[in-house]
Amino acid sequence: MELFPSHILRIREFLESIPDRKIFRARLSRSWPEGGGKDVVLMGDVGVELGSPETESCSVLLWTGDASLVRDGVVSLIGPDLAEARQKSMAFGKIVLLHVEGFTEENTFHRYREMEQMRFLLDLKGYMLRATSQYQREWCRVSRDALEKGFCLSILGSSLMRVFRELDYCKGMEIVFITEDRDTIRKVREMTRDTSRIIAAMNKMADEMSFDCDECDYRDVCNDADYLKKMRTVYRRKATGEEPWEKHES
Amino acid sequence: MGETRIIALCGKGGVGKTSVSSLLLRHLALAKGKKVLAIDADPCAGLAGSLGIRVKKSVDDIRRDLVAAIGKGRSAGAPETLRMLDYEIFDALSEAEGFALLSIGRPEDEGCFCRVNSLLKDIIQDLAAGFDYVLIDGEAGIEQINRRVMKRVDHLIIISDTSAKGVNVAGTIARVARENRAVDYRTMGLVLNRVRNEDEARAIAAQVSLEMYAWIPEDESIRELDFQGRPLLGMPEDSPANLVVQKLCKRLA
Repeated sequence: MELFPSHILRIREFLESIPDRKIFRARLSRSWPEGGGKDVVLMGDVGVELGSPETESCSVLLWTGDASLVRDGVVSLIGPDLAEARQKSMAFGKIVLLHVEGFTEENTFHRYREMEQMRFLLDLKGYMLRATSQYQREWCRVSRDALEKGFCLSILGSSLMRVFRELDYCKGMEIVFITEDRDTIRKVREMTRDTSRIIAAMNKMADEMSFDCDECDYRDVCNDADYLKKMRTVYRRKATGEEPWEKHES
Repeated sequence: MGETRIIALCGKGGVGKTSVSSLLLRHLALAKGKKVLAIDADPCAGLAGSLGIRVKKSVDDIRRDLVAAIGKGRSAGAPETLRMLDYEIFDALSEAEGFALLSIGRPEDEGCFCRVNSLLKDIIQDLAAGFDYVLIDGEAGIEQINRRVMKRVDHLIIISDTSAKGVNVAGTIARVARENRAVDYRTMGLVLNRVRNEDEARAIAAQVSLEMYAWIPEDESIRELDFQGRPLLGMPEDSPANLVVQKLCKRLA
């Protein structure tokens, strides 16, 4: 089930190279008031803004079946926390590592989409999220009021872990937030560059019924990732009726 | 948290719809802790200018980029596309104290992009739910509001000046709204602009069989700000038009 083995190893090495990063244990019982669906934080109310379109932003979600690659319940922070922000608008990086079970060539894409949607289930008062997985960008705003009341990245990380616990195939989760500077975020983007192409290749496989690999823009990543090749074979068999599709609950 | 209150203004071009929208917006945005989304749905896009705001990009720009990406085979799956559009639309907001402005832009001119329009409308509706008030500066054709912006509004305000043409168009809009249900609304009323006195206002309201929400007197300060090209948000507090719109705002809010 390994789609990102080298990427996760690179991230682990990167984390080890920053020994002074702050590390928190997620507190799943700690809650933050809900926003009641009124999630918009306008510029006039912003306490701190992370990863806006005017600055650097990188958000990746990677999963593995190897529990040893994920430090379950750990939230790391590279750079200042929200209350110590050097300026109102900061570059932002977020890496989510998941230890998962039961992934097959057929259910992987469905589960990816499900996992990708989980961050949008967060309804935290004074916290607004806009994100596009296509460009691996995440743009958050935290209101001045929420900041004054103590909202911080460990609360955000713990809340995110709480929503992921709802997925029974997610067995462990680790989150890394990066607020250090643009260069560090560019480094993460570089390390995870082709993960977005792997996801795009899966998107294409799932949404288009063409399996003409000679014509496909993602032939290079498919050829590099064995798991993608297996997925492609399964999708082709299903599409041609050789095998029935599994039913997914959605 | 209460539900989002949606107010749409329609009327013939030139009757002062955008001026009234600007003044209404000013009062809604003054309410402490309330967030207002102003949507400029008029293809002439005059609201931004009237508010003194620069528009970065319109919904139509986003739509055209998406259609071009689809044409080049670069679109992602539906959930990813929705999130990307949500991101782009939030980025297209022009923000000021207490409100944000979204410009819809001109209507599509070629081809049928029903699916894209429908996606964009869904996203605008989701975005609107995050605000306390939504104020739509529309055009005469109210079906455009339904098609491109919102399925439902709370208050549909038809604006007219005292000209026969303006009143005629107001009557037509009211009829289309009632008979064709071109847009779902909870209440509908008339706001008359540039009126000389109450008798004139009542006589005109009777012609269109609409409840009159307010009549706004001729106001020298609007003319002056318009002439100088300055935003109407800077209207004197005690100007006659401002005082009427303040009352109207209380009624709608």
